[in-house]
Amino acid sequence: MFFERWFGLNAKRLRLLEKAPKGPLKDFLAVPFPESDTPIKHVDMLALDFETTGLQPSKDHILSMGFTSLSNGVITLKDSQHLLVNNQMNLDRDNVKIHQITDSEQASGEPLAVVVEALLQQLAGKVMLVHYAQVERTFLQQACLHLYGMVPVFPIIDTLLVAKRRFDLSDTSYDPSRLRLVNLREEFQLPAHHEHNALNDAIATGELLLAQLQQSEQGMNTPLKNLLV
Amino acid sequence: MSTELTDVKDFIKAIAPFDGLTESLLSALIKEISICYVREGEQLPAQGIDKPSLYVIRKGSLRSANKNNELIGKFAEGDICALFCSEQQRTEQQQTEQQYTGQNEDLMVTAEEDTLLYAIDFDGLKTVCQSFPNIVEFFSASAANRLSKKVAEINEQAVVASTLMNTAISHFYHGPAVTIDVDESIQAAAIKMTELNFSCLLVVKDDALVGIVTDKDFRRRCIAQGLSLTAPVGDIMSESVHMIDVKARAYDALIKMNSAGIHHLPVGKNGQLAGMVTITDLMKQEGHNAVNMSSMIAKAHSVDELANIAKLLPKLQISMRKLGTTAENVGKTMSAITNAFTRKLIAMAIEKFGDAPVPFAWVSAGSQARQEQTVNSDQDNALIIDDAMQSKDEPWFKQLAEFVCDGLAECGYVYCPGNVMASNDKWRQKQAVWQGYFDKWVNQPEPLALMNSSIFFDLNTVYGEERYLQALRERVLAKTQRNTLFLAHLSANAVKLRPPLGFFRDFVLIDNGKHKKTLDLKHNGIAPIVDLARIYALSEGICEVNTLERLKQAAGTPSLSKDAAGSLISAFEFLTMLKVEHQVDQLLADDDTDNYLAPNALSQLDREHLKDAFKVIKSMQSVRQTTYG
Repeated sequence: MFFERWFGLNAKRLRLLEKAPKGPLKDFLAVPFPESDTPIKHVDMLALDFETTGLQPSKDHILSMGFTSLSNGVITLKDSQHLLVNNQMNLDRDNVKIHQITDSEQASGEPLAVVVEALLQQLAGKVMLVHYAQVERTFLQQACLHLYGMVPVFPIIDTLLVAKRRFDLSDTSYDPSRLRLVNLREEFQLPAHHEHNALNDAIATGELLLAQLQQSEQGMNTPLKNLLV
Repeated sequence: MSTELTDVKDFIKAIAPFDGLTESLLSALIKEISICYVREGEQLPAQGIDKPSLYVIRKGSLRSANKNNELIGKFAEGDICALFCSEQQRTEQQQTEQQYTGQNEDLMVTAEEDTLLYAIDFDGLKTVCQSFPNIVEFFSASAANRLSKKVAEINEQAVVASTLMNTAISHFYHGPAVTIDVDESIQAAAIKMTELNFSCLLVVKDDALVGIVTDKDFRRRCIAQGLSLTAPVGDIMSESVHMIDVKARAYDALIKMNSAGIHHLPVGKNGQLAGMVTITDLMKQEGHNAVNMSSMIAKAHSVDELANIAKLLPKLQISMRKLGTTAENVGKTMSAITNAFTRKLIAMAIEKFGDAPVPFAWVSAGSQARQEQTVNSDQDNALIIDDAMQSKDEPWFKQLAEFVCDGLAECGYVYCPGNVMASNDKWRQKQAVWQGYFDKWVNQPEPLALMNSSIFFDLNTVYGEERYLQALRERVLAKTQRNTLFLAHLSANAVKLRPPLGFFRDFVLIDNGKHKKTLDLKHNGIAPIVDLARIYALSEGICEVNTLERLKQAAGTPSLSKDAAGSLISAFEFLTMLKVEHQVDQLLADDDTDNYLAPNALSQLDREHLKDAFKVIKSMQSVRQTTYG
């Protein structure tokens, strides 16, 4: 209990809240995260995906983000958003082939500050749901550091980790490529989706979590802490 | 990258009725979607969905069952389950179904496997699809309503599309063009039209066509606007004038009229105004093919010649269908041509064997008598001979029957598999013997005997003395009307052919939850309605044999409510239309024709309409069962 009060995410959030500059980040930190023993069906989540120019937050950029809310076992598309970031830079040809964002599309996007603010607004009070959290967490932290001079905390559920924990329970080794979003979806007999579109990937991640939960022992009653990164 | 939510959108826009939505409405509709995942065995509505919603199956499958856990239907990928659309509508549907079946269909929907669902909020759908009322209606209407709407649409198309593909406009346009100068007064135009009894005039300026004025324009643009009668006619004309070249085909004129929503089309010749063609002119062209064929049959001199003419029958069916002729009219035309062949063959036989020793009637049975034949029908016929016939006369009739039946076979009408033909001694008898047959069928009904003889309750005179059949019919109807045992046996037979439940993936789903690869349109759809209509006719003393006529006349009698009759008529029209269309597809592909339809050859929408037709048949069969069960 003491541990939770001192080291828990909400405790960290409150400490950061005191230091945070007025603005989007402070507003985000002002909303409490769900308590870690809340059953997952009562936890509001935001399925999220970034497309980036590379894997290093220090020198690469966020190109686009897609997010949509998930709560009570249902993904709602009503408030889903797909936002392009205008980094005012030329895009690498090889990279364009993957994420399909052209220079002119990039130019139609918003500055990073606007996009991150929109995301933080949606994310407040929610758990971030991603596949392979490394990218989204580090890039968002880097963006916050750059924009607000501070690295916040996020409660995160990573569907890759949820799957990995399950695989690790068995003694037999497995091919790491099984953990890719497409391959996991196939294992759960979910339909094929268009990869590398941030919103499609975010929804695909949400669907994967629903399938994972339905096959887990406690289902929608699984406590949040069992799923957090 | 340009479109967001591409996965969901691509999936939804391939599904009827959403395939007709504009791109922007589609995007708005997608926003109304909630995605949920239902575990095998779990019941709908899905957890977290608390508003009336449509469920589109993205992956997996659902099954619906009534409270006795009898399978009602199954839904697979791309199917829409509309059972949770709205509370109010559900009870309404239950009420109509209660009327039909006498039981409360409290449906239970469960996931048959782990299923990913797109739930579309129904109120949201209504708002988004405001400008597409047919989409909202599609989900809120009952099976019967949806079906009758679909059939009305098809019939409407049939009326406007009824023109010949290969007739040039030069054959029937009105020339020269009747024109009026653009500066003449409105009244002068009206006077000219009245004198000529025309409903429209072409408006010219320096001999060049500048507009058209029709009856409607006087009402809408002159009187309603309070325009003076002395104003120039140019003020009320329609300026955008379409013109068609005299060498174009009637069909092109029709398409042009349809797409522009007009009924008059100026005709040009070498760029000069030459005349006018109207929608009425186009419609008059219909049916000439069939008329031509009948006159060819009458002029033929040998069976070989007849057989050659018969080879045109598939082409006739193709062209009739392509022109949008209704299945009802295809059936009537095809049956009329079979009658023409039969009459010609009888005339040839008389020429060959001499005059008949006593009067007789050649009667057709089954689909020919009901006027519901299509190109692959077999022959069903019989002879009713005057009671004055002596045994020495019998060989003449035998010769006649064999000549005609063989001749029909040469013309492509295959011998009846059940041997219901005049060449069979049993069905070539005196009036009195026929009376005996019918008395036995009606007074001492036996299920099997009745099944084989139901065809004789649909008879029609093709040649000879009509009074024999009339007398028989009156006698039979007087007996059947009050004979509950007979009607009960007939009903028991009629409900043996059950329509399927619907479709599941690319299979036909039948009663026991099993799947079949093809749908037997005849036995699982059309025949059950024909059987029901026959029962209504026999119990209400209706002497018609055509199924649609029987249903129309039985409507509003104790046997059949008006609503139920309407539903059955729609179902019959839809099923026969599908049958004709299916055969046309086969004819065009040079395949043998049959009545077996593969589900994957059907559009999603036609599947839905078929399901509706099955529902209608099923509920009417249940009524029969409870009445005489």
